[in-house]
Amino acid sequence: MSLLAQSSAVIGMNIKSLPRRLWMSLAMVLASAVVVAVLLAFLAMAKGFEATLQSAGQEDVAFFIRTGSAAELNSSVMKEQVDLLREAPGIASNENGKLVSPELYVIVDGTKKSSGTDANIPLRGMEPQGLALRHNFKLVQGRLFTPGTDELIVGEGVLRQFEGFELGNEVRFGKNRWTVVGVFSTGGNVFESELWADAKVIQTLYNRGSSYQSVRAKLTADAKLEDIQAYIKNEPRLNQEVQTEANYFAVQGEGLSYMAIFGRVISAVMALGALAGALNTMYTSVSDRAKEIATLRAIGFSNLSAFIGTMAEALVLALLGGFLGALAAFLLFDGLSTSTLSGSFTQVVFSFEMSGQLVMQGIWLALIIGFISGFFPAWRATSVPVAVAFQSRG
Amino acid sequence: MSDENLFELKAVAKRFKKGKETISIFDDLNMTIKRGDFLAIMGPSGSGKTTLLNLLGGVDQPTGGEISFDGARIDGLSEGELAKWRANNIGFIFQFYNLMPMLNAAKNVELPLLLTSLSSKQRQQRVDTALQLVGLADRAKHMPSEMSGGQLQRVAIARAVVSDPKLLLCDEPTGDLDRQTADEILEMLQLLNREFGKTIIMVTHDPAAARYASHTLHLDKGQFVDKEDDDVLQEKSA
Amino acid sequence: MKDLYLVYKNLTRKKLRLFLTSFAIFIAFLIFAAVTALQGALNSGVEMSADNRLVVFNKINFTQPLPYAYINKVSGVDGVKNVTFANWFGGYYQEPANQVVTMAVDPDSYFEVYSELVVTPEQKANWLQNQAGVMVGERLANVNNWQIGDRIPVSSNIFSNKDGGQTWDLVVEGIFTANDPQVDTGYMVFHYKYFMETQSWGGDYVGWIVLTTDDPALNEQVAKAIDENFANSQAETDTSTEKAFNKAFIEQIGNIGLIIFGVVFMAFFTILVLVGNTMVLAIRERTGEIAVLKTLGFSSPRIFRMILTESCLLAFLGGLLGLGAAYLVVGGLSQMMARFLPNLVLGPDIVLQALGYMLLLGLITGIAPAYRALRLNIITAFARG
Repeated sequence: MSLLAQSSAVIGMNIKSLPRRLWMSLAMVLASAVVVAVLLAFLAMAKGFEATLQSAGQEDVAFFIRTGSAAELNSSVMKEQVDLLREAPGIASNENGKLVSPELYVIVDGTKKSSGTDANIPLRGMEPQGLALRHNFKLVQGRLFTPGTDELIVGEGVLRQFEGFELGNEVRFGKNRWTVVGVFSTGGNVFESELWADAKVIQTLYNRGSSYQSVRAKLTADAKLEDIQAYIKNEPRLNQEVQTEANYFAVQGEGLSYMAIFGRVISAVMALGALAGALNTMYTSVSDRAKEIATLRAIGFSNLSAFIGTMAEALVLALLGGFLGALAAFLLFDGLSTSTLSGSFTQVVFSFEMSGQLVMQGIWLALIIGFISGFFPAWRATSVPVAVAFQSRG
Repeated sequence: MSDENLFELKAVAKRFKKGKETISIFDDLNMTIKRGDFLAIMGPSGSGKTTLLNLLGGVDQPTGGEISFDGARIDGLSEGELAKWRANNIGFIFQFYNLMPMLNAAKNVELPLLLTSLSSKQRQQRVDTALQLVGLADRAKHMPSEMSGGQLQRVAIARAVVSDPKLLLCDEPTGDLDRQTADEILEMLQLLNREFGKTIIMVTHDPAAARYASHTLHLDKGQFVDKEDDDVLQEKSA
Repeated sequence: MKDLYLVYKNLTRKKLRLFLTSFAIFIAFLIFAAVTALQGALNSGVEMSADNRLVVFNKINFTQPLPYAYINKVSGVDGVKNVTFANWFGGYYQEPANQVVTMAVDPDSYFEVYSELVVTPEQKANWLQNQAGVMVGERLANVNNWQIGDRIPVSSNIFSNKDGGQTWDLVVEGIFTANDPQVDTGYMVFHYKYFMETQSWGGDYVGWIVLTTDDPALNEQVAKAIDENFANSQAETDTSTEKAFNKAFIEQIGNIGLIIFGVVFMAFFTILVLVGNTMVLAIRERTGEIAVLKTLGFSSPRIFRMILTESCLLAFLGGLLGLGAAYLVVGGLSQMMARFLPNLVLGPDIVLQALGYMLLLGLITGIAPAYRALRLNIITAFARG
């Protein structure tokens, strides 16, 4: 009989005897499922957060903030400096002139729907050119704010997570009243967690004089960041640093990477615990079938087929758990919208993102659990003395 | 009831329901067992030997009739009372020894003493004596897995006598042993009966084993029967 | 207990299984204790808030300033005991990544309002005399190995000083401690006046105002009086208890507590199932032995107790080891993460909680097999065996 035929006979026998060890087998499936689900939940959270920030950044947009300020919130750029930056080399233009957007923001309180508590939302002031710099920008409801008025437009993320930002509503921050005249989308990225209004109005209402916090500028195809850096260096009135917008958000996106690390550590540790349980299951399974295995070997089945049979059982149980865990994580977490405090001290609304690649990581984890928990008991299965078949007494 | 009777069974019945049918093992069983007796009970499978032994050992309750031990009724005792009664009065010897695999010989023998108020030192002394009696003083620290069938049964005998019970109940004590070892075990039981005055009731299949008893009862279909070809009793009483 | 030896022998009869099972429990309690300590560290600001301390922020958001003139007005409100104020400095030391929590405060009143902070009169006097002096919290000082008298360059990622640079040279005049190890001392404070005079933007505003009331019962009344006082002014205020503010701030981070709780719960539940299953199996294997013990005269309740003792021993064996490991892990982490996560400690409350759960685990995993053993019928057990 071929090894294949032998092995499938052993596997078949193992599967038929599974109901006898039903609870034990279910425990192993559960252990594997929970470990995979936990891993995927954390990874999906970190991934979603990262994607929300990273997809906001563009490679061909230069981003200026004051040297050393690390984040937009801490930065400042004076009006004169904006004018100087406008003249930097390699900046593209459109029909309205140079594609440069000086921006500022104040943090305002919004009430989270989930907890009913106040949380920070950025109220960003910008000029019309700012909209031209956002790829994927789309008004989904209403209209744009009119410059010079206290009108604002609200990101879809804010609308989803916070109370009272529906189109037409009046919102109040401190003494100031604003009217929501539009809802915008930017393709799911971090800008959807913001409120946008006219920069000059914000400067006036929040005592910012004529200062801004950051400047974005669209680069021409042949622009070089080094040239701009050199330009800033040679202009003593500038104390800004430049990087691509993509780079800025990549760094900001690392904010929740500790979540991914934490998730990996926790699930690795949990996997060890689950492994202990799975090993128990498989050892029990082997001792439960010691007589059957020995009988098969006595009539001429090879050791290898006994090994493969046990191994297959472990892998099937662990994989089953892995798939269930991935499914549970997918159903519970995929697309789940939540918000957290980002590095720039404001709320970022993001969704858990479960990708096929993450699921594969979970399945790999399940396979590792299955392999290890199968290997040692399978080894033992092949070393059960054949004599056991003839002397074992119930 | 006279003082010389240890056990007295009156009109004992044991029935149980299986589906709609009522199966009766005993309808009207009467017997007395005298103190100091060494009684062998023989009979084919299904004759009720084991059930009788369970009733005598207080691990099962009759559905009718009376069982008296040492002048006191034991039928109708609660489970807890029966456990206490067994601990105080009965030593059990089983076919497959039933030793605790994780305990060494001495610790196995000590088990029944855990049910007494003896101090650890007193228990130790008793265990030593019991093991000496069965000739295994030098194996006290051995695990059951390291001993032969005969040795295991001797440990089991030591366990049965260590708390000095009045009665030893043996269920096929030699069923798993070769002839020579079986004889050794039976001689030991005989010794316990003659020298130490233990009352022994032994259920067995083996006529050769029954020969060591002072007399034999044959059980068939829930009744004691006289067996003409039973020469054991004759020989013994002769 | 005479049966303890028997219990012990039962527990250790299969070494591999014992190892695997207690390892699983070990992991469960390691995760439990470490994660609970982590959560405690996140919440310690809430736990440690003084009952009678209120914070006044700009209603727009806590990052918006308040006019300096508000301080006097707040002091005049009935029921207010002490008032102090602070400004966020956005400090870092040497590198932007190396953030140092730094605030510009009013030196005269700060330590009155934060009465849980301990500072010697001598050090405080020195600090009051030195405009460029800074009081450093004990933990921050330890992390950076700063001593009294050290001159430390502290940079701001927000402010520039009048020389055009962003670095202030401050002198460590004192190191303050706290009367409770859970109180955060991972920050430093320097003179507000000096800060305002040296930074390039000038202005006369403060970041926020902190006050204590005469009695916690007055909190609500005082908060309302302050907010009404500034209603419809240019800078409206939002006054809340320190506890409520800290809690809201933690909640900004999101459902982390919920997620952590979920993970711990799942880990714990999984292990419970695994251990419970193993226990059931272990006892089922012993059906015959239990029948023998019963035959010998061991009472059912006694066997019930023996099995529960065994499962509890198992839970405590793995659990205590896990707790011990968590103690080491948390100790190591609190050294490593002192900068980001102050107050990471494995407190007695966590230990007690863990011990409670160990007992619970032991009882739950043992109860089913113990009950089975309790009800085990000798005759049927032997018939099957």
